[in-house]
Amino acid sequence: MGSCIVDFSQVVFSYGAAEVLHEISFKLKRGEVIGLLGPNGAGKTTTLKIIAGVLAPGRGRVSVAGFPLPEQAINVKQHIGYVPEAAVLFESLTGQEFLELSGRLHDVEEAVLQTRIENILESFDLTSNRLRRLESYSKGMRQKVLIAAALLHNPDLILLDEPLAGLDVNAGIMIKDLIAALAAEGRTIVYSSHVLDVVEKVCHRVLIIHNGHLIADGSAEHLKVKTHQSTLEEVFRKLTDSDRVDPAVAHILSGLRT
Amino acid sequence: MKAMLNRLLRRILRGPFTARLLKACGVNPVHYWLLVDLFGRLSERNEFMTQLGRSGIALKTMAWFYFVFLSAVGIILVFARLSLPFYFSIFLGITAMFLLALLISETNNSLVNPEDGLVLAHQPIDGATYTAAKLSHLVRILLYVVPALNVVPALAGLWLPGAPWFYPFLHMGAAFAVGLLMALFSCALFGWLIRFVPAPRLKTVGKWMELIVWMSFIWLPQGFRFLPRIRSSVLLAMPGWLEVLLAVLAAVVIVASVIMGLRSLSVDYMLRVSSIVHGSSSAPGRSRPPRKASTVSGWFGGQPGRAAFKFILQMMPREWHFIRQVAAFVPLLIFISIWMAQGVGVSPFSRHFSSWHVFPHIFGLMFYMICSVISYGNNYKGSWIFLLAPAGALKRFAHGVFGLLWIGFVVVPHLIAFAFLASLWGVGSTAVFIAYSLAVASFYLGLTLRLIEGVPFTRQPQVSGNYMMLPMLLAASVVIAGAVALQYFFVFRSILAVLAVTAVIGTAAWLLTRSSLRRLAEIMRFTLGLVSGESKFLYQEIIT
Repeated sequence: MGSCIVDFSQVVFSYGAAEVLHEISFKLKRGEVIGLLGPNGAGKTTTLKIIAGVLAPGRGRVSVAGFPLPEQAINVKQHIGYVPEAAVLFESLTGQEFLELSGRLHDVEEAVLQTRIENILESFDLTSNRLRRLESYSKGMRQKVLIAAALLHNPDLILLDEPLAGLDVNAGIMIKDLIAALAAEGRTIVYSSHVLDVVEKVCHRVLIIHNGHLIADGSAEHLKVKTHQSTLEEVFRKLTDSDRVDPAVAHILSGLRT
Repeated sequence: MKAMLNRLLRRILRGPFTARLLKACGVNPVHYWLLVDLFGRLSERNEFMTQLGRSGIALKTMAWFYFVFLSAVGIILVFARLSLPFYFSIFLGITAMFLLALLISETNNSLVNPEDGLVLAHQPIDGATYTAAKLSHLVRILLYVVPALNVVPALAGLWLPGAPWFYPFLHMGAAFAVGLLMALFSCALFGWLIRFVPAPRLKTVGKWMELIVWMSFIWLPQGFRFLPRIRSSVLLAMPGWLEVLLAVLAAVVIVASVIMGLRSLSVDYMLRVSSIVHGSSSAPGRSRPPRKASTVSGWFGGQPGRAAFKFILQMMPREWHFIRQVAAFVPLLIFISIWMAQGVGVSPFSRHFSSWHVFPHIFGLMFYMICSVISYGNNYKGSWIFLLAPAGALKRFAHGVFGLLWIGFVVVPHLIAFAFLASLWGVGSTAVFIAYSLAVASFYLGLTLRLIEGVPFTRQPQVSGNYMMLPMLLAASVVIAGAVALQYFFVFRSILAVLAVTAVIGTAAWLLTRSSLRRLAEIMRFTLGLVSGESKFLYQEIIT
């Protein structure tokens, strides 16, 4: 683990009148794999978008790789790879065209770009589909294209928002191995997910956001000891009041019976 | 030959000179051309279908329409032997007005609804480069529209007394300068808006800007009436040097505003794009009492009809594309309403022409506008939900569509008109007029239901249809004028004639509506791919 790559200090963010992040602070070190957890609407995606330079914080200070945000968003974007939660793509481009666009916007040299595209498409088993338009891709194939686009320029910081959504089991395993390998090479990975056992396996450190507050920060082991729980899922349930899930399920079923 | 010329033009445009120019303006030339190519490709492949500047067919159609219309105006004015400066200023004014409306709408469409921006927001593109690439299609609009509006008037101007041989060149040069100014002004205006309006409110404010431009065209003639008075009372009282100083100051302020607007447009656009796209009112949706809704469902197709009724009622005020299209009709509606309010003292049965003779036919124009655009919406990808509807539900859904349009846009306005007019014309005359108007409006609704091309708000917006709307509206106005004349000379001569015609039109409306609803249900099934199996994309969404 090395120096700090993300400094997120006292950040407040609002959508209109609704404040969704309340003075959140954390620092991420190079080479760390960080799991970002929280219930729906907790502020995980907003946090990732702020780090990616897509949203500007209302208050507070954010810097990525030494570049302050939002002032130097362009420099930050050169250093990050981002897989957004929603698979927004240009549907009429082919997989190859989309990856070329992404790589060229990051100023990757053409010969290097083509080699990387070939390698990555082959690894993701997309070579035979590379000339088909993205509108005809399945959800999992689109997700692979988004991940490939995020990696093409060899970024220092990789932000993954639900990267396993729609992927088949083999691709999921491959992504988990890839995360570990990239981290070993010194890349920092922020991994937002609801799949807690995967987070527990691949992340060095876990941040839990609930209602816009950072309520936990530490390794999975540390959090389990601190909360006297045996799994990360139990830690999550305890810290985010998810114990109420069972009564909610009973309520839905009783509603369906009426 | 054409391909060779294109290659040459491309080489010159993308050469070192342009790159230096772009860099001087703070634009990254490599990213700029990448984005220009991307937007061009997306338009070719029908992914960008809402921008006029990227649709060759829509541009050419509109340019031909303007060409014919303005050529006729130019020739008429030449025959009227106007003075050259007056003739010149009329066409510059027309060019400025047309382009302002068009370019503000296009800028709004490009910058306030940048769905492509979501894909590109995390890429290392600066705001100046993105907005420059995004707005480059405005130049294409100028290249089509300015000549269409001015070529014949510029040549015809040579026949005016005192016109120099170089008049056509002067005319065209000035017209292009005005066009460029309007383009810069439109961009700068949105620069200011993006700077000062909170991103989630930008879509709403953008719609208002378009509406204000259209409204200003209606009130412009009123302004011209006061201009000589202002000039005589204020300007003539000033010394000449002060007048010049004020003019120079005004010019400086305008230029500075445009430059600052353009700068603020480019500074941090990419940081705001996510908030702009996802922006909406934070007000909670209103829910109507279930009792009223269940009454409606009883009349118009049960629960699927109720679903249609509520769906359209909820989407109409929220669907950005729909509101933008229909908003252009609002100034005309206000203008007609004022005209009718002024003529309220004259009953249509008085044997004099009354502005109320037009009342039933306004519904024809209104339904033409609504039904032409209601199938299209920005949320078109949500249409998969209709694929899950059981057999027969779409037929009853169509009844709900009709129910909402008929109750909301025919019955309610007629009830209001009845309450307003009964005390002025007497209950009997008003009741007959309202019954006649109801029948005519229902007939128009039955007819225009045939323009609906699918389940409301479920098709991707297309620019080509929008720009045919103005010529079609003008043609419809001519037909309506004929109908009003027939009605005035042959129908409103006796109460009995009005009652007889009401019965005939009412029956025709009922038959037509039945047939149109059958067709609407069928077209909804067809566009969803339930009949043809064309909707490959939707099926694949469900399968995966």
